[in-house]
Amino acid sequence: MKIQHKLRAALISIPRIAIGLAFFATASIPLHAQTSDDGIMLSRQKYCTGVFFGYDSWDHYWEGSLNRTNGNLGTVITRTVSYTGNYALTDKINILGTVPYIWTDATQGVLHGQRGFQDFSLAVKYKALSIPVKQFGAIRLIGVLGGSVPMTNYTPDLQPLSLGNHSKTLNGRLTVNFLGKRGLYLNAGTAYVLRSNVTLDRSSYYTNGQLYLSNQVAMPNQFEYTVAAGYRRNDTTLTGHFSQQQTRGGGDIRRQDSPFISNRVNFSKAGFTLTYPLPRVRDLQYWLIYDNTFDGRNVGQSSTYTTGFLYTFNFEKKARP
Amino acid sequence: MIKNTHLHKTSRIIVSTLSLGITLLGAGCGKSIPSSEQLSPITPSAPDSNAGSWKMIVLSGPTQVPVAAPVAVTDAGYLSELAAIKTGQASLTDAQKTSITYWSAGGVLRWNEYLRELVARADLPPAPTDGGTYPSPSPTNPFAYPTYPFSNPPYAARAYSYVSVAQFEALKAAWYYKYLYNRPSPSKVDSSIQSLLPATGIPSYPSEDAVEAGVNLALLKLLFPTNVDEITAKAADQQQAAMLAGRASSSDIAAGVALGQAVAAIFTTRAGSDGMKAAAGNAAEWQGLIDSTTARGEIPWLSQETPARPPMLPLFGQVKGWMMSPSDFVTARPGPPPSTSSSQMGTETTEVRNTVNNLTRDQLATVYKWADGVSTVTPPGHWNAIAFPYIEKAQMSEVRTARTFALLNMALHDAAVGCWEAKYHYFNPRPSQLSPDIKVQTGLPNFPSYVSGHSDFSAAAADVLEYLFPDGASYFDSQQQEAAMSRLYAGIHYRSDIEVGMQHGKKIGDFTVNFAKTDGAQ
Repeated sequence: MKIQHKLRAALISIPRIAIGLAFFATASIPLHAQTSDDGIMLSRQKYCTGVFFGYDSWDHYWEGSLNRTNGNLGTVITRTVSYTGNYALTDKINILGTVPYIWTDATQGVLHGQRGFQDFSLAVKYKALSIPVKQFGAIRLIGVLGGSVPMTNYTPDLQPLSLGNHSKTLNGRLTVNFLGKRGLYLNAGTAYVLRSNVTLDRSSYYTNGQLYLSNQVAMPNQFEYTVAAGYRRNDTTLTGHFSQQQTRGGGDIRRQDSPFISNRVNFSKAGFTLTYPLPRVRDLQYWLIYDNTFDGRNVGQSSTYTTGFLYTFNFEKKARP
Repeated sequence: MIKNTHLHKTSRIIVSTLSLGITLLGAGCGKSIPSSEQLSPITPSAPDSNAGSWKMIVLSGPTQVPVAAPVAVTDAGYLSELAAIKTGQASLTDAQKTSITYWSAGGVLRWNEYLRELVARADLPPAPTDGGTYPSPSPTNPFAYPTYPFSNPPYAARAYSYVSVAQFEALKAAWYYKYLYNRPSPSKVDSSIQSLLPATGIPSYPSEDAVEAGVNLALLKLLFPTNVDEITAKAADQQQAAMLAGRASSSDIAAGVALGQAVAAIFTTRAGSDGMKAAAGNAAEWQGLIDSTTARGEIPWLSQETPARPPMLPLFGQVKGWMMSPSDFVTARPGPPPSTSSSQMGTETTEVRNTVNNLTRDQLATVYKWADGVSTVTPPGHWNAIAFPYIEKAQMSEVRTARTFALLNMALHDAAVGCWEAKYHYFNPRPSQLSPDIKVQTGLPNFPSYVSGHSDFSAAAADVLEYLFPDGASYFDSQQQEAAMSRLYAGIHYRSDIEVGMQHGKKIGDFTVNFAKTDGAQ
C-alpha cells in the first residue's frame, strides 16, 4: 500500500509549460514541474490523470533588464486549463502528456485577448538508476525525453498576449532525486530545450539589431535547472523549489517596443508544491503549486498559481509483491 | 548494489540519449535566417543612354551640378589609377570578394534594402517619463534618449522619398555626363583588368556606384544620424567594390561622389524647409484640433494610450509634396466622414465590433502580415519590398531602378501628406474610442482614423506599380485590397476610412503616374 502511494504522484509537469509559454513566451520547458522533473515514478500499469487550473498574472515586466509597468497593458492575466495524464508502461518508464487551453487578457489598453489550445506536450520518463542509501532511502537518476507541438494555428505575433511561441520543442532532462524513508525529499535537475524555427504571417521583422527579410524566426535554445527540497511521504508533499531558465541567444526588448518571440527570456523563480491525498478517496489527490518570478529579462514578473486534482487508476489485475 | 548487466544497460541508454542530443544540437545550429536578399548580379537589359534628358523633378537640369571633363585615358595620372586597380585585384581578400558580390545586385536595390533596415531600427515611439509626459527625439541631439528619429510611417515615407528622388536626380545627371564624356570602364581600357561585375557598356565617368554612395552617405546621415558609422562604412564599401571590380577608376569614383553629394546638398536644403520641423505641432495646436472638432459638433479624437500621447505629427499634412502643390492636397481632400453622432457611424462601429470578434485565421494572418507597426519597415517600406522582386526581375539599369523607387516613393510620400492632411482636418475618433468594448488585434495607431493610412498608401503605391509593371497589376491590386481590409479586421478602422482612403490614394498616385507618362523614360 505504502509503496503504491509513494509512487503515485508522478505527474503534473506540463500545466507548467502551458503557463510559462503564455506570458512573453516564457518557459517552453516544464519547470520543476512534478513529473517531468521530479524524481518520482508511477508504478506499472497505473494511469494518473487530472485537470489543472492555472492563474498567472504580472503588472511589472523586464524590458531587457529594465523593470517597468505599462499603462497600455495594466496587468496581463493568463488563465489555463490543462488536461494531463501519466501512464506507467513499466516501473521504469512513464509516459506523460498534457493538453492546455489558454485565455490571455490585459486589464488596460485596447489589445484583444487571445484564447485557444496551445501546445500538446509529451514526455517519456526513464528511471535509469536506483541506489539504496543504507537504511535512509534511495537515490534515483532519471532521464526524460520530451517535446511539444502547437495544437492549433494560433499566432505567436501578438506578444505579450499570444498563446505561445508556436515553436516545436524537444527537450532532454536529467534528474537526481533522493527520497528518504522518513520523508526527506531532495531533487535537482537540468534540462536543455531545442526549439524549431517559427513561421510568422509577415515577411520581415526586426530583432536583435537586425532586419530579417524572412517570415522564419530562429528560436534560440534554452537551458534550465531546478532544485527542490522538502517533505514527501504517503502522497503528502510539501516542497520548496527554485529554478532558473536561460535562453541561449536572442535580443532584448527595446525601449517601448513589443516583446518578440525570439527574445532572450531569462528568469529565476521560486515557489512551493503542496499535494495532499483526499481522506477516504486516497486515489484522488489535491495539488497546489505556487511560483514567483523574482528576477528576469524580457519576461513578466509573474505570480502563478496552479491547482487541480489527480486521480490514479490501477489497470494491473493483481497486486504486485 | 548494482549488477553489471544493469550498468551495461544504463550506459547503453546514456550513450544513445547523448547521441540523440548531439544530433538534435546539430540540427539546432543550422537555423540561421538571412538578413539580406540573395540576389544575382544585375545585367541591365538596356543602358538607358538617354537618361540624361529625362525630366528632372527638383533639379533645373542635368547640368545644375557641373562635372568637369575627365583626363584622357592615356594620361599618366589615369594610368596610375589603372595600376592601382590591378594591384588590388591581384590580392583580393574574401571580404572584398563578398562585397563585390553583394553590390553586383545593384547599388540602388542594396541601398533600398538598407534604408528599410534603418527605418525599422528607428521605428519606436518614445517611452513616457515617470511624470506621464513624452519626450521628443531631437535632431540636434540624436544620440540622447529618445534617439532621433522616431521613424513612424509619415517620417519613413518622407525618408524613402528623399533618398529615392535625390538618387534618381543625381543618376540622371550622371548619365548625362557619362554619355557626354564617354569614358570607358577600366576593364575596357586595359584588358589586363578583370571585369568582376557584369559588363554594362555604360561609360564609367562619373561612376554610378559612387553617385549612389555620395547621395546615400549624405542623406542617410541626415535622416538617420545615429547610424553614421555604419552608413559611412557602407558608402566606402560600395566605392571600393566598384573600383576592385574593374568598373570604375578612382577619378570616376571621385567625380561620382562629388556629384552625389552636391545633389544631396540640394535635397538637404529642401528637407530643412519642407515643413517637417513644425510637423509635431505644440500643445496649443493639439488643443486647437480638439476645440475646432468640438465646435463642429463632432467627437474629437483622443489618444487611447496610457498616459495619453500627443497625436502623431499633426502638421505633417502641411509638408511639401513632390508631385502635388499645397492646393492640390486641399482639392484632393476627401469629403467628411460620417458624423460621430450619425446612424451610419453607429452601423460602421457595429461592423468593426462584429468583425474583430469573429475573425477567421486567414483574416488574422492578413492583420499580422500588414500590421507594419513598431519596429517595422512601415507601410511605405512594405510597398518598397513588394516592388523589389519586380525590379530585380526586370534587370534595369541603375538609373531606371532609381526612377522606379523615386516614382513609387513620391506617390507614397504624397499619400502620407494627403492622408495626414485629411486625418487632422477631420480629427475623427477610432472605433475603440467611440465604442470602448472594441478590442483591437494589432497596435492601435496614435492618430485620427479618417482616412486609413494603409489604404491611402497602398492605393497610391499599387497605382504606380501597376503602371510600371502591368504584368503584376492583379497582384498589386490584391495586395492593396488586403492591406486596406486588414485594418477593418484589426478593429482599428471603419469601412468608410478604408474605402475613401483607397479612392484618395489612387487620386494621389495618379499625379505620379501622369508625371511618369511624360518624363521621357517610357
